[in-house]
Amino acid sequence: MTQSVSIPGAAKSGRSRSTSPQSLGGDGVIYALFFLGLALTAVVIIYPAFYAIELSFQKAESFISEPEWVGFDNYARVLADTEFWEALWRGIIFAGFAIVFQVILGIAFAMLLDAAIPMKRVMRGIAILPYLLPTLVVALTIRWMLNDPIGVITVGLQNLGFGIVDWYGSPTLAMVLVISASVWLWTPFVTVAFLAGLQSVPDSLYEAAKVDGANAWQRFWHITLPQLRPVLTVVILLRAIWMFNKFDIIWLLTGGGPLRSTEHLPVMAYRKAFQAYDVGMGATISTISFLILSVAVIIYFRLFPLDTKD
Amino acid sequence: MRNELEVSLSSRLALYTAMLVTFVYCFFPVYWMLVTSVREPKVLYNTVSLIPGPFSLENYRLLLAATDYPTWFANSVFVATVTVLITLVFSVLIAYSVTRLRMRGKTAIIGTMLLAYMFPPLLVAIPLYTIFAQLGLANTHLALIISHCTITLPLGVWLLWGFFKQQPIDVEEAAMVDGCSRLAAFFRVVLPLSLPGITTVAIFSFLLSWTDYTFALVMIDSDSQKTLPVGLETMVGQYELRDGELMAGTSLIALPLLALFIFLNRYFIHGLAAGAIKR
Repeated sequence: MTQSVSIPGAAKSGRSRSTSPQSLGGDGVIYALFFLGLALTAVVIIYPAFYAIELSFQKAESFISEPEWVGFDNYARVLADTEFWEALWRGIIFAGFAIVFQVILGIAFAMLLDAAIPMKRVMRGIAILPYLLPTLVVALTIRWMLNDPIGVITVGLQNLGFGIVDWYGSPTLAMVLVISASVWLWTPFVTVAFLAGLQSVPDSLYEAAKVDGANAWQRFWHITLPQLRPVLTVVILLRAIWMFNKFDIIWLLTGGGPLRSTEHLPVMAYRKAFQAYDVGMGATISTISFLILSVAVIIYFRLFPLDTKD
Repeated sequence: MRNELEVSLSSRLALYTAMLVTFVYCFFPVYWMLVTSVREPKVLYNTVSLIPGPFSLENYRLLLAATDYPTWFANSVFVATVTVLITLVFSVLIAYSVTRLRMRGKTAIIGTMLLAYMFPPLLVAIPLYTIFAQLGLANTHLALIISHCTITLPLGVWLLWGFFKQQPIDVEEAAMVDGCSRLAAFFRVVLPLSLPGITTVAIFSFLLSWTDYTFALVMIDSDSQKTLPVGLETMVGQYELRDGELMAGTSLIALPLLALFIFLNRYFIHGLAAGAIKR
């Protein structure tokens, strides 16, 4: 059937051409499947997003009452609200610190797991483990470990002479708590991606560097990091998006408190929509938050263009 | 690091120390959860001994006998199973047709799926809940399953798209030349070849649905409909001194995942390395 015309020196692209299904076009079944897929995507993914935008222009007393069209009122209210700007800033602090530590720790773990260590498989499993745990499991376990007076960390810190640490009472400590928990939970994503990337760095580069007298740190800085730059670009982008949108860990550990000191945009949107029943306001905050994220992603792509393959 | 012969004693020591620290850092919370769950309730508030014991299954007994935990467990299994099935059927359909079809706009589907990765959970949860509330479907498992599909479907399409794209179309064509219909070729040739990809999608859809807290918090109100994470959360603060039972509860949520992880390790690594799971 399809035989791609192979151009000398273009063997690779020739192969991928031959998988393109020109000859299979016009097949009824496949078109039916395609449109089914299209319809489902539209209903489940696109429609809710557009509906969120529609809700942001409305005001309703509850989820089922008749909404009233209010134009840009919600947007004006949100943007004039200092709570919103504070929440945005706290979200940036939260995501920023969490990402920096996740990346540094993830790279360190990956380097360790790549080294000649005993029980490699077990260690790799243990290092990935936190990522699989439900946020709720982690949050409840952390709360139990910080229990006053009998949590294992509480007692440990006391024995080290720190006294009772009031994690939920101080704005700074509460922020440290949610950031640390996020780092513990989601670092393995960086570890696994970086570890996979390490396997593709040719050994010859390291050997050449060694001949030139480069030490381990120099080899890491001048070979490993530059070689893994594309991996890191994607990993940082994904982690940034997900940390900025993260809701559950903060909600479960501090509920946004104390005195809203850990309340970022997702928590604020939840509080407005599901506790104050101001649906329009919740939708508006989510929409603005998504717009800010989109702009940030576009800027990121400009600064760190990805190598696009297909 | 690369040249093991060169590694001196001191750097070997540093390596082992780093290993130990990493091990304790990553594993201790899980260890502590398990140790607490099997400790006798009476001594729970008197000791922080790092060594397990005195051993007792009382926490588990109380959890299963005195709370709605069994119901929540059944709800979680049901929601996760249906989510996985729906995700598999539709992500296979979409990914397969997108890779085998030449027409404008097909990359828009993939693009939309990627965009969905960027949606804040509440950007999806608020409109979905509004829709379900108006349809009278709020507080149902159907609502929860559909909201889980908004995350698992993009994941499935994205992963399988990569899979189907790599697959040589020649085998499929050969089968069709030999008289197979497209559907037969699909079921006899494409599906078996894609089994690893499909398994990965099944595992991660299960994981996402099983671990979800946010959507369950928004969609489900009544105790009898709750899934494990939200159900367990409502136990907190309802009664005093139930940390032992809570840790038994979290252990039972985590153990199925640990079992999956141990037996299906390579799929996890594959899916994670593909950047697939949004968490």
